[in-house]
This record gives sequence, C-alpha cells and structure tokens, in this order.
Amino acid sequence: MKLKGLKLVTIITYLVLILVVLAACTPSPSAETTEGTSVEEMEEPAAAESAQEESTPSEPVTMRVGVTTIWDAMNPATGWESYNIRYLFYDGLIEWSGLTSFEPGLAKDWSVSDDGLVWTFNIPEGLSFHDGTPCTAEDIAWSLNFLMEGNIGPLGLYVDGFEEVVALDPTTVQITVSEPTPLMITARLHYAWILPRSVWEGMSEDEILEFEDPRALIGTGPYKLVEYVEDEYMILEAFEDYFRGKPPIDRIVIQQYATEDAMVQALQAGEVDMIDEIPFTAIKPLQEDENIEVAVMDTISIEDLVINSHVDGTQPESLNDPVVRKAMDYAINKQGIINVAYAGFGDIAGSILPPSFDEWVSPNTDPLPYDPAEANRLLEEAGYTDSDGDGIREDADGNPMEYRLYANETGTSARVLEIISDSLAAIGISAPPSLVDNDALYDLLEPSWDFDLILWGWGWDPDPDFALYCFTCDSIGDYLSDSGYCNEEYDKIYQDQGGMTDKEKRKELVWEAQEMLFEDRPYITLLYSKLAQAYRTDRFTITEVPGGDLLKKSTLVQYTEPVK
Amino acid sequence: MQRTNYLARKVLFRAITLVVVIIFNFFLFRILPGDPVKSIARSPRLTREVREQLMVDFGLDKPVWINIDALKKGNILGGLDTQFTAYFQELMKGNLGVSYRSRRDVAEVLQERVGRTVLLVAGGEIIALIFGVTLGLIAAWRRDTRLDTSILLSALFFWAFPTFFLGIILLILAGGHLPIGGMVTPGLKPVDGWKYWIDVGEHLILPTLTMAIIYTSSYVMIMRSSVLEVLSEDYILTAKAKGMNTFQILRDHALKNAMLPIVTIVALNLGYIVGGAIQVETVFSWPGIGRLMYDSVTQRDYPMMQGIFLILAISVITANLMADLLYSILDPRVRAE
Repeated sequence: MKLKGLKLVTIITYLVLILVVLAACTPSPSAETTEGTSVEEMEEPAAAESAQEESTPSEPVTMRVGVTTIWDAMNPATGWESYNIRYLFYDGLIEWSGLTSFEPGLAKDWSVSDDGLVWTFNIPEGLSFHDGTPCTAEDIAWSLNFLMEGNIGPLGLYVDGFEEVVALDPTTVQITVSEPTPLMITARLHYAWILPRSVWEGMSEDEILEFEDPRALIGTGPYKLVEYVEDEYMILEAFEDYFRGKPPIDRIVIQQYATEDAMVQALQAGEVDMIDEIPFTAIKPLQEDENIEVAVMDTISIEDLVINSHVDGTQPESLNDPVVRKAMDYAINKQGIINVAYAGFGDIAGSILPPSFDEWVSPNTDPLPYDPAEANRLLEEAGYTDSDGDGIREDADGNPMEYRLYANETGTSARVLEIISDSLAAIGISAPPSLVDNDALYDLLEPSWDFDLILWGWGWDPDPDFALYCFTCDSIGDYLSDSGYCNEEYDKIYQDQGGMTDKEKRKELVWEAQEMLFEDRPYITLLYSKLAQAYRTDRFTITEVPGGDLLKKSTLVQYTEPVK
Repeated sequence: MQRTNYLARKVLFRAITLVVVIIFNFFLFRILPGDPVKSIARSPRLTREVREQLMVDFGLDKPVWINIDALKKGNILGGLDTQFTAYFQELMKGNLGVSYRSRRDVAEVLQERVGRTVLLVAGGEIIALIFGVTLGLIAAWRRDTRLDTSILLSALFFWAFPTFFLGIILLILAGGHLPIGGMVTPGLKPVDGWKYWIDVGEHLILPTLTMAIIYTSSYVMIMRSSVLEVLSEDYILTAKAKGMNTFQILRDHALKNAMLPIVTIVALNLGYIVGGAIQVETVFSWPGIGRLMYDSVTQRDYPMMQGIFLILAISVITANLMADLLYSILDPRVRAE
C-alpha cells in the first residue's frame, strides 16, 4: 500500500516537472503578450521580411489566398464549384474575361462561313500543356470531340450543337455546327476547356468519373498544380509556357479556413494577402484597416423564391394562380431583405437577368414596388378571403393559404426567410420558415416536387441562354430546373433565340422570354447579389477587375502586381 | 477468479455494444433526408446517365435492407443482395470502403485524421490534468482562503465559458503573432524535419491552449471537491491523531482516494478525444476528425461517416473498459461486486 502511494507521488512530481518545462517553452499569447514574448515572436517575421527586402526581384512572388472551401472535387467531370480557381488551370478557345464579355483565348482569331455553319479558328504555334505535351490544332480538335462524346459531363453542355470538329492543319481548327448559332463565342467555347490527350485518352467512362487525380487539372492555363491537400490547402505555380507569357505572380497558395471569422482575421493579421467571399457584415471593419482594400462587385447572380410550378407538384391549387404569385411579389419587402440580411449590399430584382446583362435585360420587367395594400387588394378581388377569421385567407373551396417555405440552413437564409414569412403573414398567407440542408433541398425537386416555396439562388452563365434554359421543359430532366416550370410557348421562344444570329431579333426574343417568366412567376426574384472580396494593398496592387472577381484569370494574369 | 469473471463480463458486454453500434451506424445515416448521389455529383450539369453510373459505382442502386424484387422471384440469396450486406461483408474484411467525396480509402483518411486530433487533444489533456490536479489539491488544502476562492472562481468562469468563444478570443488576441488556421504552413512536409515539426508546434499552441483551459477548469473542481470529501473522513482524523503532517496526509491518504473521480472523468474525456474537438478544430481550422465528421455529415458521405462513428464507438468503449479496469485496481471494493 505504502509503496503504491509513493509511486503515485512520484508520478505527480514527474508530471509537475513536465508542466514546468512546458510552461517555460510555451509562449502563452493570451495571458502574456508582454514584451518578452512579442520580441521573441517578432524576431522571425522581421528576419523573414528583411530577407525578402534584401533579395533580388528574382525571389518568387507568392500570393496567399484565404477561402472557406476550396472546391468539391479536382476532377472536371464531377466537380463544379469554384469556377474562378478551376479556370486558372484550363483555357478555352475563347476566354471569359469580363462579367459578360470575352477575349480571344487559345484561338487568336476566327471566321464564320456565310451560311453560319462552319467556324474556323486560328491557333498560334508552340502552345503546350502543363505536362509538356504540345497543344496543336489536332489536340484541340481531339479535346472538343472528347467533350462532344459526353465524357466530361458538366462541360458537355458547352459543345451542344457541334456536328464535327476537325483540325485542317496544326494551326487551324474547324467546327461545324448543325444550325447557325449566336452562342459560339458567348455561351460555348469559353467553357469548353481544352484537356490534354496525354491524360484522358483511352479512359473508360468509369475511370473518368473516378479520376480524382492531380493530373485531372492539367491544362494550358496560367497556373499548374503543385500540391492539393483536401480540406487544407492548394499550391499553384505559374506556368512558364502560358500563351500570354508567364504570369507576374509566381506562386498562389490557397488556404482553407473552417470559418469566415478566422479567414477575415487571417487577412488582418497578414497571414493571407487576399480573401474570397467575405461576409457582408465584415465589410465595414475591414474598410477601416488602411492596408486592406475591400472590393464589392456586381455579379451575374440572383437570389430568388422558387414557386413549385411542376404539373405533378404537391403545391396547393391557390399557388398556381398567377394573381396569388403577383400579390406575393408585391408583399415581399425586398429592400428589407437587402438591408437586414445583406448589410445593404444588393439591388432589388425584377427580371431573372441581373443588370450586368445590359441590353439583354427586358425593359418591361421593372421590380414591383413593395405594396402590401395592393397585394391585399389583389387577393380580395380574386376571392381569397379570410372566411373563418383566423388571420389566414382561404381559397374558394375553403382551403387555407398555408405554404411550406424552405431554405438552406445558413445565417443569411434564416434572416431572409424570416422577412419573407413576416411579409406573407401581413397579407394573410401562412408560410412558417423551415431550414434544411442543401441535400434535403435537392431531394424536394425532381422527381418528387414536394414543396411550395424554396429560397434559392443562381450564378448564371455570361450569356442569357443558360438562364433561360433553366425554365424549359427539358431542364427538368437535366436536374437544372428547380421550379418545374414547363410551358410549350416558352420553349418555342427559347429555341428560337438560340438559333437567331441577328442580334437585334434575338434580343427581342430574349426579352419576350423574360417577360413571360415575369408574368408566370416560377420565381419571385428577390435581389441581385454582390460579391465582396478583400486584399492587402501593402502586398499587391490590382488596377482593374473586369470580371467582377479578384481571383478571375483575367485579373490575376493581367492586372495584379506585387508591391515592390 | 472473481476478477477474471468481472473482466470477462465487462469485455463481453463491450463486444455486444460494438456490434450493435456497427449495425446502428448503417441505418442511422440513411434515415437522414438527402440523397448521397446528389452530393457526389452536385453539379446540376451532370446528365441522367452519369448520375445512374455513379449510383452503380457506389452500390447505391441496390436496396438498402431487403431485396424485395429478388425475393419475389424466389431467389432467397438474392434477397440478401443489399447495401447492408455489402457494408457488413466489407467491414468484416476490415474494409471501411471508399469516401464518396474524396474517392480516397476511408481507413487511410481516418488514420491521418485521428493522429492529428490525438495530437491536439492529448496535449490539451496532459496540460489540463497537471494543472487541474495540482490546483484542485491546493484549493482543497487551502480551503476557504483567498487562494481557494480565486482558484474556484476562475475555474467556474472558464468552465462556463463556451469553447468556441474562448477560441475566437484567443484567435483575435494572437492573430499576427501565432498562426491561427491550419495545421502547417502550406508546402511544408514531414521530410523537412525539424522545420516541419516546429511549424506544426506553432499551429498547435492556440488550439491546445483552448482545450487545456476548458479541461483544466473541470478537473480543478472535481479534484477540489473530492479531496475535501476525503479530508472530512474519519481516517484522516486518525492520521492527524497519529501526528502525521499535512503533506503526509495529502500524499498518503487524500490524493489516492481522491483520484477515483478524476480517473472516471479522464477516461470519459479520452473516449471523446476523437469527436470532442469539433469546436476547437472548427475555430482553428485544424484538419482533424471533428471537422471531417462535420463535412461528411453535410455531404452524406456514408462510408466516411460509418468509419468515423465506428472509431468513436471503439474509443468510447475502450476508454470505459479502461476506466473499469483501473477502478478494479484502484478500488478493491469494485472487484467484490
């Protein structure tokens, strides 16, 4: 007994000793940010900085970027998040440089035959992929054919309508289309990325889907992958043989933080030089930091309230009535949503297309004013009255106007949903908010169509075609439709605009389609969102952001310089 | 003999628990709303054919529990061709499957992540144990003095403090002096030797400190109250009467008897080592098992979730078993049970 007791004392003494040693080695930042600690801590960075200053300009320039998620997958056949980062690895024949504008990409120039069916692209000599294999017109033709065969699912949409692609010689690619198209430059080639034959040739469908391999990122783009550690970081290195010349930033380190707060803090502490997608509430505090520039930019994204419009949907009959939909549009306090949930950043929405689409936006889709009185009047007139006096209106058959309202469980959605629910309650419609996760939301769509209202959003492609497509009957089968809207008349207009090479005439059709959606309201559009990013001005100078995104290829390669 | 019986019973009971957990794990996640294929192929631009192919690849085209179609055709063995039997068979072979999300081997990912979490939690636990036991002992010994009150008050304060909030405060205070996110500066590798480990050490300071502070406070309180209880026992009075000094009494009589509740709580904490660090891992972006669990749940990564919860179950069961064993060594009365 005695012996054991002694042993225990020895152990404790030993532990206490360890404690003393640990306490001596561990600088305790919270309790003792005294001079002693800070000097010790400061020494290293200072040494590193002076080393940088003394060094010649040949020292590699590194940009550290903080993000909250890097992306879903490396493989372009399955992944689709973080378009901006993905686009650093690949090129198309055309480059999407501005928000809705384009520049020549791998093709230096092109021409179209008189019948509009044959497109000829001239490719410069000496292009190559990251793995050193050359990228000639033959390789480009091979890659486009590879996409046309449906091998890379998400990219397949961008070779739609291609009949044949051949290389006439090492510097000429010829694309034959089935019908004349206005979409070649603005809705096709910028997303039809050129992938190397050396990697993808001969793979089976299964192998392609399972190809979660760094080689999946080999392209001709300005950056190549050095290392990717899932949930941690990614390191990119400038590609020496990029067709515009080696970019000015030698290395990009993308570091993933688990929370937005930590990411913002990391920027302020100088742990990173740039952060992607900052919360709107963090904009003000960051603007006060003199070494930080906050960029709040227009986007081609919208936030909307999806109304179940599917013919076999489980929505109550009253929700199919355009008058009810219109009344709801009048009743929702969109400015309130922008002020409360988006810290004032955003614009009230009317058409499904944001103003960045310029001339493509129909002038007849101005947002309805916020007018609950008008909404009430419309409902009364249409015979939706509160017959039993419980504060909720009923339709002619006595069914109460109670709708199921869902959103993805984020803080912003919760706030928006609250406002929508209150707005609808004010006109006698009951729609209690429920928050579920994203997967559960997808589960409500095709094929079940088991919801009434969902708060959701879209980032459109730069040509109106894609946005319009998401309301066609075909888009239901493609899992792109979230409203289940299907209207033959609308489909006809969509088809026509996609084949209309006369821009003015196409514009009219695009307008007509938007007006139809504005009338039928598969969506109540809420707001056009902004993108907020921030960077350290003591590390980098950014002169222009044509693409509305600091991380977009055009900005990083052409308009970003390190501070000397 | 009695002791062997006691052990055998305990081990058997734990083994049964484990089997139940394995079966429960499978169904638990499939009750959740949401479809894993939609998470695997979250691109809305994937075609129907590709989606179907993915279902087949991951075995999700099979029925979950019973293959009714096959049974109807009179094929009884075919009736067992389900996701569950596939899961159970593979598990028996020691194969945890492949992650839907990263397409990596679940066992391989888990191995990597568990090591990191243990690194984080073990450090916090050791520091907390040392401080907690020492401070608790001092507080009890100096009962009702100003020292006791201040130790007790600060312990109460930190015990009531939300972990993530403490983490965020430390993160803001230390930003610019210490790394606040991740496990290592991107690009450094274990092959870089000391440089790598020093860097990891720097990244460890803040999260470890957060864990240590929170754990310390609970150990202080438990230690203090159990020492106080022991000090009021008759045998302590006897010891005093025999003329032993305070140090001898604390060392020979109080400490050992007061250790029992601490053993319990440490064992319980060790059981939660793997999963208990979610908050700290999230605040400091530490790529451990806690964050992996969160990510896997949100993405319906069934194989990964099954793997994580299996490890959780094993660690909780093992820790409890260890506590039982330690008890039987520390306290002879338990053996007689």
